[in-house]
Amino acid sequence: MLAGLRFLLHKDLTLERRGGRVVLELCVLSLLVLVVLAIAYGPEAGGRPASAAGALWVALILSGLPAASLAVAAEHENDCIKGLRLSPLEPSTIYVAKVAGVGLSMAVSEAALLLLLVLFFNLQFDTNLLRLIPILLLGALGLAALSTLLGTTTSRLRAGEMLLALLAAPLYVPELIAGIKASTAVLGGSGLTAVLLPLKILAACDLLFVTCGYLLFEYLAP
Amino acid sequence: MRLSPSTVFAAVTCTLVPVALFMVFVYVPTEADQGIVQRIFYFHVPCAWAAFMGFGLSAIAGGLYLFFAQQLWDDIGYAAAEVGMLFCTLVLITGSLWAKPIWGTWWTWDSRLTTTFILWLLYSGYLMLRVIGEDSEQVARLAAVVAIIAVLDIPLIVISVRLWRTIHPAVLITRSGEHGLEDPRMVQTLLVSMVAVTLLYAWLFWLRLKTLRVKSRIYQLRQTLASAQVTEDATS
Repeated sequence: MLAGLRFLLHKDLTLERRGGRVVLELCVLSLLVLVVLAIAYGPEAGGRPASAAGALWVALILSGLPAASLAVAAEHENDCIKGLRLSPLEPSTIYVAKVAGVGLSMAVSEAALLLLLVLFFNLQFDTNLLRLIPILLLGALGLAALSTLLGTTTSRLRAGEMLLALLAAPLYVPELIAGIKASTAVLGGSGLTAVLLPLKILAACDLLFVTCGYLLFEYLAP
Repeated sequence: MRLSPSTVFAAVTCTLVPVALFMVFVYVPTEADQGIVQRIFYFHVPCAWAAFMGFGLSAIAGGLYLFFAQQLWDDIGYAAAEVGMLFCTLVLITGSLWAKPIWGTWWTWDSRLTTTFILWLLYSGYLMLRVIGEDSEQVARLAAVVAIIAVLDIPLIVISVRLWRTIHPAVLITRSGEHGLEDPRMVQTLLVSMVAVTLLYAWLFWLRLKTLRVKSRIYQLRQTLASAQVTEDATS
């Protein structure tokens, strides 16, 4: 399984390095969402952890869903996914590799997202930003696991991107609530106890989504 | 004379629903603290039960469809979720009508309300998938997967009043583990309402399932006709 996983991940990362479509879409959409929210909140939102955390997670989900859809849809061009299914690789290996690829793209774009957040919401460059990293990585993993599983079918349907948002966003709500709570606590300088419960919820949701995807992917892949 | 299942469901439901209404509005005593508005509880709880039953049935049918790939299971899953969605909407509406006089607001982001609303959103996505997506095997498979994942929200709704600090009353099983209905007539009324709403669910589910079975049959016949046409064109 590991050799197949490494091979598929290498393929996805090479494609991303050459084209950079997913990371580019993630960065541009995140920028747009942050700009819209910064304008909507007004200048008084500057330095307020709750506003910044809300904007961060809204940007993550609104940019993450179409980007994941794009990444999965790339496998349907020239029926690449059928080629993969004909290979000796297990469907669950293909799923894990796609999740890893999409998750890594999201992680890269999150670095840019954090920088933009500091600029637009007048935050400080301090260690609190570093403490945001595990929270964001857990959020990205959950979103990647969910959108890869559902996007495998929706990307082949009419109005697929809209359907992916309709299906994935409600499932992602528990992670969204936990992520916003944890990020608000971290940006507000709270201790580990305030972050522990949301982190546990994030990790539990990630485990649930990855397990469901691992078990059910073979029924959705063509 | 042989009675069809829908006639039997209709007859029993139409008998029991007026009995339940009589008990809710006449038989059961008015609750001392909340007054007359508490009677909405006898609609709210049975509707929640029917919604959970429907979504549970949809998830089970989804699992069986993924395993056996028989159209019947897909139709059962679709019908169960659709009727379950109707009752889930009624849960939110009746809860909101109760909340306004008791809490002073139509809606609050309480943990049980939020998790129930998430369930409603999940199945609204499921139904949108059914409406927008084509009648194809891939849509049926995705719908089955969504139903299986979405049903995991139900245990969360049930235990939410114990997991988090919440203002939602825990009546059936209180936080101390007892039940909060002090008068035996309240228990009787709740039980009759539960049976009446369950039968109403079963009747609506049966009617919807029959329609879906006919639709599936027509779809199959169209497919057969189209492939026969292709074969005929190829040979002529």
